[in-house]
Amino acid sequence: MLLAPPSSAAAGAWRPASLREAGLLMLVAFLVTGVSWFLRSDGLPLTADATGYELELAAPLIQVDQALALFDEGNYLFVDARSSVDLEFTTIPGAFFIRQDTFDDDLLEYFDFMGPDDHFILFGNGNLLPISNIATRMIERGYENVVILKGGLSAWRAAGGDISRRTGDGS
Amino acid sequence: MKGMLVLGCRLFVGGIFIYASLDKLGHPQAFAEAISHYRVVPYPLLHLCAHLLPVVEIVVGTALVLGIGRRGAALLAGAMTLVFMVGITSALIRNLDISCGCFNTDGGHAVGLDLLWRDTILLLLCLPPLLARDSGFGLERYFRK
Repeated sequence: MLLAPPSSAAAGAWRPASLREAGLLMLVAFLVTGVSWFLRSDGLPLTADATGYELELAAPLIQVDQALALFDEGNYLFVDARSSVDLEFTTIPGAFFIRQDTFDDDLLEYFDFMGPDDHFILFGNGNLLPISNIATRMIERGYENVVILKGGLSAWRAAGGDISRRTGDGS
Repeated sequence: MKGMLVLGCRLFVGGIFIYASLDKLGHPQAFAEAISHYRVVPYPLLHLCAHLLPVVEIVVGTALVLGIGRRGAALLAGAMTLVFMVGITSALIRNLDISCGCFNTDGGHAVGLDLLWRDTILLLLCLPPLLARDSGFGLERYFRK
């Protein structure tokens, strides 16, 4: 047996020993944290200001049912803004690929297909923050009609939205 | 053989914890933001968690790799993994569209069920070092009478 038998003396003995060791390790961690915080000149203050952490998105959020309706209307362009490291090979049919790390090149590639008067729905995969950053950059370039799909592609898929394989550069 | 299995679990879990701490140690502000996205930790404790968690991870990881305080380190590693699982489950229930902040504070992996499976495996791997008598090769024996 790999594990100590529950009835053995050793099984009873590991509890206080492990708790004592865990306590010592936590004490070491607290000491190291305190010393490193004290020594770092650019250290983050120990108390946070709540206003600094309220997520302010650059564009309004829309729910997936709204996005599905707009997809059926066909008046909105969908933008897959997932990072290039998200190696998933499916997306919303007809979506453009605009990513943070290749933003300018991607925008240039779709220059003939996207106009400032078009309406865009940006969607991501897991984090609203990078999608909001891309929305900010698009708005700065004059594409002002931008909304963000809440829940991203997973919410779209869960709601039964159409899915297609990625094609072109994004594949 | 048992000792080798415990050693393997120690090195794997310890290595994971050390690796997970590195980016967070270098970017406490970004890690604080990643924690804040879970909307679980009160703001006054946010920075304290951002400072403390990566240090606990590297201390626990190092203890597991070196075999010092093996059971305590495994207990802490398991407890932290459980806390991460609770956080991920809570985010999934509330349909939060966030990245996990596990290894990378810059974007990173999206919170999802796959993370729960990964953490379940990590949790199971904490059990042999916690419960086994034989610690495998480690420095622990030099600290005991």
